[in-house]
Amino acid sequence: MADITYKWHKSYTPWLFIFPTVLGLTVFRLIPIAWSFYLSFTDWNLLAKPTFIQLGNYKELLASEDFITILLNTLQFSVVYVIGSIVLGLALAVLINTKIKGISAFRAAIYLPVVTSAVAVGIVWNWILGPTYGIVNNLIEAIGITPPYWLGDPKLVLNTVASVQVWKMSGYYMIIFLAGLQNIPAETLESARVDGANHRQSFFGITLPMLSPTVFFVLTIAIIDSFKNFELIYSMTKGGPGNSSNTLVYDVYLNAFVYYRVGFASAIAYVLLIVVGLLTVANFYIRKHHTQPLD
Amino acid sequence: MKKLLTVALALLLASTLFAAGSQETASTAAPKEITLDWWTWDPSMVDQNNAIIAKFEAANPGVKITQTMVGTKEYWTKIRIQANQNKLPDVYTMSSGYVEEWAKAGLMYNLDNFVKNDDTFNVFYKSIFDVVKGISGTDSYYAIPFALVTTALYYNKDAFDAAGVAYPTNDWTWDDFRSAAKKLTIDKNNDGKIDQWGFWFYGRYAHIEPWVYANNGKLIDRTTMRFAPNQQAIDALKMLTNLVLVDKVAPPQKDMTSFQQQDVFQQGAAAMWVDGSWFVDTLRKNVGDSMRWGIVRVPSGPSGSNEMTYGWPDSYAIAPNTKNPEMAWKFARYVAGEGLGLDVYMAGKIPSAKKLAEDPMFSDPNQQPGADMNMLIAQASGPMTTSFTQGWGEWRGYGGGETLGLNGAIDAITNGQLTFDAAIKKATDSANAVLARYYK
Repeated sequence: MADITYKWHKSYTPWLFIFPTVLGLTVFRLIPIAWSFYLSFTDWNLLAKPTFIQLGNYKELLASEDFITILLNTLQFSVVYVIGSIVLGLALAVLINTKIKGISAFRAAIYLPVVTSAVAVGIVWNWILGPTYGIVNNLIEAIGITPPYWLGDPKLVLNTVASVQVWKMSGYYMIIFLAGLQNIPAETLESARVDGANHRQSFFGITLPMLSPTVFFVLTIAIIDSFKNFELIYSMTKGGPGNSSNTLVYDVYLNAFVYYRVGFASAIAYVLLIVVGLLTVANFYIRKHHTQPLD
Repeated sequence: MKKLLTVALALLLASTLFAAGSQETASTAAPKEITLDWWTWDPSMVDQNNAIIAKFEAANPGVKITQTMVGTKEYWTKIRIQANQNKLPDVYTMSSGYVEEWAKAGLMYNLDNFVKNDDTFNVFYKSIFDVVKGISGTDSYYAIPFALVTTALYYNKDAFDAAGVAYPTNDWTWDDFRSAAKKLTIDKNNDGKIDQWGFWFYGRYAHIEPWVYANNGKLIDRTTMRFAPNQQAIDALKMLTNLVLVDKVAPPQKDMTSFQQQDVFQQGAAAMWVDGSWFVDTLRKNVGDSMRWGIVRVPSGPSGSNEMTYGWPDSYAIAPNTKNPEMAWKFARYVAGEGLGLDVYMAGKIPSAKKLAEDPMFSDPNQQPGADMNMLIAQASGPMTTSFTQGWGEWRGYGGGETLGLNGAIDAITNGQLTFDAAIKKATDSANAVLARYYK
């Protein structure tokens, strides 16, 4: 059959269709990305014109002890978030992968924090974890244990905020895991049961390996998400005590919009880009060379 | 023929209408309309501002004011971008924290001629204008102050009465204060936890610096422009942190993380609190008559006097490239107080316009804290100081960065995370790294 040709179709027609997207992408993403790369070599307070200072911002960053702390905090937050999200997301998905009455309500309830404003979540958790009047510490005290300062102890605060982020976002990963779980053929699990496998054995021997493509997908997006922690940190700790819960994104905000050191903030943003880029490349490499999709 | 007639009639009609229009235009030709853009940062003032605009426009036909209300948190980012694009509004709100940077960057209209040729100081207090001039680090007037803000010791009269402690007075010393704070720190239900603290503070500028200046302290060496707290300042910081660590009459900052800082006093969790005078307005609105409270000067330290006030003006600036400088000046004077009544003025801020400050209703006996408000007027006429420099928000630890800088260092002391000496050294190093960027 001959190719269908349309009278209105010209060689430039496809360009017309993608033009709005390309324009939006260029104006709102590509140009700012390129511009901020240039800004990372400048000193700019938003008022005057940027002054080119070569590698000055990067040198200041590398010489700063605080920056090393912030970088390590970012990685720690990421590790807690990624592990927590995958474990909790998967656990929730397994729990609700059942056909009981009202299961949709449970699924909706678990998903609700995902669509709740992060600032609202931060404020509510601030109350829940409050040292004097917070419900968590009052319960801990009721059983005779001295409660910790969840947000006031520099050793605890980062894990606390990361855990709240896990609580907020695990419903999102649950949905992805649930889709993966529902793709596992029931007869495979049934035959394992017939062969005498218990729940634990069939989960670790069949379900988890068959979920590995989903796990790697979740791992990739969770790693990227783990760096988007600004709102919770802003509403819960403002990066404190000291720099204990300060991360790269919060530090970008501080330098760009509180101290108005836009060039320095751009340099931090590019360090963040390198970190995320390296982790994503590593993730894809592992996915390509060390896993075998079972589906 | 019929067609020709129709065209002729249409032309006649059109020319008549044109002539009528021209006549109308000629007979009602109004003076050229002036539009002024006015940017402010306090969303709670929108209604009051609209009322002010309506009054000004009625008194000045042909002038239109366009108000842009930007939230406090976004204001400085947005207006910086406006400045960068050479599109500053004709009249805009200016903070003392940025006066120096903006004046030196040429982003505010030099008002010297207006101030000199007008009857400015018959209408406004010269002393408050001079404070802005001093903070700007120049010899010119670049902003019209509409208010002076200062700090006060807020006290809960109900708590004082319940503990049988005499109310604070303006001549209180630190010893008087500590003695009262001890009596007001109470475990009401004997569960081993303090239910009412005598005092509450954390590293916030308005909580700390009044004590430093009331002891003749200085944080900044103005000759070198470096952070160099003198002994009196160190003594003040030591006294404050010891309220938590030794006297145990104030909670460490980490105990109060679930509170909005201004709620601690309002909710009765602390009997005394030092903060900005603008909280008079907040307390009137939030507390109403459910708690009786008053204000006095921050107590004097052993090396100083509380005559020295921590105070700074909030101002209006005029864009250097405004097309209507005379009208912008007229409007700025108007909204700075010349055209206002106390009904549209935020309580607790001290008016720079004499008619407002001298209005007996400034100390409205029917509203708390009644006659205590006179103390604010007295403060406004005394000596004044601040720690504002370029980069102040960063080295001081302010807003989104309040866990860092001097603020974070003081909190680290009260939270038991750093010793006093280590925290002050850390604050000094980080403050001077910031100041060195601005003052070579």
